[in-house]
Amino acid sequence: MKRCFLALCVVLVAAGVSFGADTIKIGVVATVTGQNAFGGQLELEGMQLANKLYPEALGKKIELVPVDNKSDKVESATAATRLIESDKVSALIGPYASGPTMAAGEVAEKAGVPMMATAATNPLVTEGKKYVYRACFIDPFQGEAAANYVFNVLGYKKAAVLTDVASDYGVGLANFFKANFTKLGGEIVSDMKYQSGDTDFMAQLTEIINQGPDVLFIPAYFAEGAVILKQGSELGAKFRFMGGDAMDNPDIVTLGGEAVEGFLHSAFAYDPSMPEMNAEAKAFTEAWNKEYPGKAPNANAAMGYDAYILIYQAILRAGKSDPQSIRDELEKSTNVPTVTGLTSFSAQSHDPVKDLGIVEIRNGKKSYIYTIKP
Amino acid sequence: MKTAVRNAFLNLLILGALLGFLWWAPANLDNYKLRIINLIAINAILGLSLNLIYGMTGMFSLGHAGFMAVGAYVSSLLILTVEQKNTMWILEPIAPWLLHLQTPFVVSLVLAGLAAALVGWVIAWPVLRLGGDYLGIATLGFAEIIRILIVNLTPYTNGSLGLKGIPAHTDLWMTYGCFVVVLAFMVRLMKSNFGNVLRAVRDDEIAARTMGVDTFKVRVLAFTIGSFGAGMGGALMGNLITTIDPKMFTITQTYSVLMIVVVGGLGSITGTVIGSVLITVMLEWLRFVESPIRMGAFVVPGVPGMRMVLFSVLLIAVIIFRREGIMGTREFSWDWFFPKPAKTTQTKEARE
Repeated sequence: MKRCFLALCVVLVAAGVSFGADTIKIGVVATVTGQNAFGGQLELEGMQLANKLYPEALGKKIELVPVDNKSDKVESATAATRLIESDKVSALIGPYASGPTMAAGEVAEKAGVPMMATAATNPLVTEGKKYVYRACFIDPFQGEAAANYVFNVLGYKKAAVLTDVASDYGVGLANFFKANFTKLGGEIVSDMKYQSGDTDFMAQLTEIINQGPDVLFIPAYFAEGAVILKQGSELGAKFRFMGGDAMDNPDIVTLGGEAVEGFLHSAFAYDPSMPEMNAEAKAFTEAWNKEYPGKAPNANAAMGYDAYILIYQAILRAGKSDPQSIRDELEKSTNVPTVTGLTSFSAQSHDPVKDLGIVEIRNGKKSYIYTIKP
Repeated sequence: MKTAVRNAFLNLLILGALLGFLWWAPANLDNYKLRIINLIAINAILGLSLNLIYGMTGMFSLGHAGFMAVGAYVSSLLILTVEQKNTMWILEPIAPWLLHLQTPFVVSLVLAGLAAALVGWVIAWPVLRLGGDYLGIATLGFAEIIRILIVNLTPYTNGSLGLKGIPAHTDLWMTYGCFVVVLAFMVRLMKSNFGNVLRAVRDDEIAARTMGVDTFKVRVLAFTIGSFGAGMGGALMGNLITTIDPKMFTITQTYSVLMIVVVGGLGSITGTVIGSVLITVMLEWLRFVESPIRMGAFVVPGVPGMRMVLFSVLLIAVIIFRREGIMGTREFSWDWFFPKPAKTTQTKEARE
């Protein structure tokens, strides 16, 4: 019995190793367990959808090799090393969130394998890197655009900010929002803080309500953001709430109910409720609904899809699938049509200039209401 | 006397084999394997230092991640270049005195250990008056305090943005050099009289005190030495992945070190080394269950995250069937491989 089991194990391992030879491998440092599993899972599904639609390049099959990173930095670096060294991938797609992306990016840079970050918006991610690119906009732009929208379009002059000081994303975005809002002539009436993992925001919210702002900006991850919205509405807050791209969740209405009505958040310029979709976005939404019926796509899924498309297009243009050629072609990407708009890179900037969308929860539905051009 | 010579010879042989391996490995193994081999050494250093505190002296400490954070930050801040420091502090400017502070890596490593030891020593005074689970809670609290201080001291630590692009100096020579030093130190320590005192404090504090041992002082000293190891291990870990932030040093980091110590055997140096090899390798090796597996015509799709399930099952099995860990409190000894001379002569005489 024992021997049988052992033999089975050996067979399993041997079988696991034998892959076809004539494939192009794209490694994915995926985030499917741990704190950020929710967004990471959607990203991975987006990539898998793109892989299904565009399964071949240069007459070879493209294979996605996902490796989980437990939402952890050390694991991200190990996962990236594993993909590069043992799976010999031609390119990498990065994990969810900026911290793990930086850890994986260092490995990719050293090994000379191009890496496409998905939703890592921290400006430090691509800084000084030759091999690291990203498919999304960066926080300074997001903070500026959000401040512009609040001040110029909504006409609010008094804002409050509630920041997660333990998250690099939250601190960065809050800073860029505050700086731009005051520059426009607005006033930050209250600047409160909390820590990731907190569940009680009553004290901060009460103080903010006392200051009477027009809008409260919360650059939070969804777990805490949802609780803030709920407790805010319980306390009878009269002002609007606004979040960042991390508040994008297809289930926000089911989870938040009445409390999220009127909530605004900035987003990568894609949402299934978008009135004027570009061709790529239309194709993506259609394919998604066919592939995963009963499950709404969101911007995270779109970012995963876009990251794959950008690498796929670079391979086609290069006519070769070695890491160096893919990197060189990625740098020359100009106006590649992706779901979230046209994407271009240059030698000076590996951060694309992209539109920012504003989503509002209106009558119990997510609606895409505004596009901000950079 | 003869056995002592034999053991010294065998130890040298093993050291020589390790040196040979370290010389051979970088040219013949890929970076992925090298990274795991590096991680084994770092995990062993962390495990040994926690084992000194928990296994040998019986102080249930959950503060390891905090000391690792101190070490990692001190070392990283000392080896970052001036230009890097200038570009990285984007929220608040860096403290001017810190900007030009720079040391070689080895110096920063020692300073990292010393800084962690200092913090450990300061914390030890109030918390070591507690015992058992209370000590666990108190050390956990202090580790969180350290982490929150790092988050909020933005001019010194860059807050929650963390540090990135830390110049990498960690290679096999560095990690295994540190590992051998820590290992040799631990073995000598536990063979010395101080080792006996530590065990006495662990097994029965009142009895130890009746024998004239200043148990509080002994515990403070053990805690401080353990913190030194944690700081050094944290510095190596940070340098290996070249980017650190406060989120790396939460309680889960402590758990993963604790897991190594418990699986290996509380109070066993050998056990900790075996535990660190086993757990580091297992976590990576188990990934094969996450990739699609082909068996003839069948394709079993890989389920991401599956390895954590399998890993937990293995851990539960260890705890159910071998509660004392793989080694218990036993230590490796060369005598395992040789028949005991005294006994054999005895049996010979008996036979005659």
